Amino acid sequence: MVEIHPFWDERKLLVFVSLIIVAAGVAVIEIDAAKHGRQSALDVIVSSVYTPLQTGLTRAAGALAGGVHDVLHAGEYAAQNRALQDKVDRLAAANERLQADAAENRDLRRLLLMKQAVAGDAVVADVVGYVPEGTRREVTIDRGARDGVHRDSVVVGGEGLVGHVVSTGPHESRVLLLIDPQSAVPAYLQRTRTWGIVTGTWLHARMKYIDQNARLQDGDTVVTGHGEIYPSGIVIGRVREIDRKDNGLYQVAVLDPAVDFHYLTHVLVYTSP
Amino acid sequence: MNVELARTLPARVLFGPQRPVDTGAGAPPRFTVLLLLAALAVLVQATFGHALSVRGAHISFLTVLVVWTGLRCGPTTGGWLGLLGGALEDALGGGGAQVLAMTIVGFLSGLLSSRFFAESLPAVIASVAGGTIVRNAITYAVLEIAYGDRGSYHRIAHATAWEVLLNCAFAVVVVLALRWWSDRRPAS
Repeated sequence: MVEIHPFWDERKLLVFVSLIIVAAGVAVIEIDAAKHGRQSALDVIVSSVYTPLQTGLTRAAGALAGGVHDVLHAGEYAAQNRALQDKVDRLAAANERLQADAAENRDLRRLLLMKQAVAGDAVVADVVGYVPEGTRREVTIDRGARDGVHRDSVVVGGEGLVGHVVSTGPHESRVLLLIDPQSAVPAYLQRTRTWGIVTGTWLHARMKYIDQNARLQDGDTVVTGHGEIYPSGIVIGRVREIDRKDNGLYQVAVLDPAVDFHYLTHVLVYTSP
Repeated sequence: MNVELARTLPARVLFGPQRPVDTGAGAPPRFTVLLLLAALAVLVQATFGHALSVRGAHISFLTVLVVWTGLRCGPTTGGWLGLLGGALEDALGGGGAQVLAMTIVGFLSGLLSSRFFAESLPAVIASVAGGTIVRNAITYAVLEIAYGDRGSYHRIAHATAWEVLLNCAFAVVVVLALRWWSDRRPAS
């Protein structure tokens, strides 16, 4: 009888054969699935368990690594942050300057075009002040009598009529704005040639004394009519609302001024009488 | 006393206690614990394998665990753990090679358990190195036979050299950590 060496006895042989059979079965299934580009049942089960675990583990490790990295580089980040903040501040200031320059450039271009369209002489002026108490809608400009500006000189902006000069000094003038209630500008509707008088309502303007039979429309353009002060054809604004009463003598139209009086910086002053 | 300790220190570091009963290590770990460790090893490898690679070779926690289990618990436990761990690896993209390779590695390591002891560093290093080579050889054979992947020899051979180094280094850390843990425990 052959004696089996205890290092490789029958029990171990049985275990080994069993293991190899099972492993080979699993391997064949896995190889077959892989070669056909599909997942075996074992793949599906293991993946459904492992994938969420891997996702969680990856995220946790990423967060941990990010946190550690942030802590290790905190000083560097702080210096970078300061440098970037300085840069942002400088760029923001430069951007504001450029935007202001661009806006000024646009205003001046419009004024230049308007000046070229004016028959007589005109000077460009900067708006330098407002009435301190706000009791009147007036502005102060940096051009006066020495620049040829005189009382009743017409003042326009890039978009249209601003007002007229009510007083002049040697180097400055005061301009009554179109939207001041004291202002009265002869005007007509460009589409229908219907006349009226435009006065201010503090924030907007109103065209009064419009013929009751005139057919107004929202958006109609209102321009200056030739009078003692104003030349003809300067845009005042557009009709926003129409107030027409059947028993009234006239119609009234509320206008949106063409000029934005909140951002008035440069104006053109007609110096020819 | 100190002279005696210094004289025996190299041997103690290399080979550890001569028998598990000497250390009071107690019963071998439960199979469920080993299985959970294997699942965790596969999870870590499948998630961070790319981050733990050196020159294209990935450290294999599972190989070290299976070899150590074989040495510590015998061929049956080593073989079964290798089979289940390898099946997990194959299910996550191993392609069918790992289940065979890890089963054989676990079983063969278990055969050595009657000759060597799991806390002997040279035995563990040699077993892990051998296990890694056997595993990669079987992987290469399966790739060749089943998939006809003719260009895999140089890649696997190159990766095997680095994997042997990585796995052995990890195995040394594990054995020393286990020895430290075992020494810390109060004797019952």
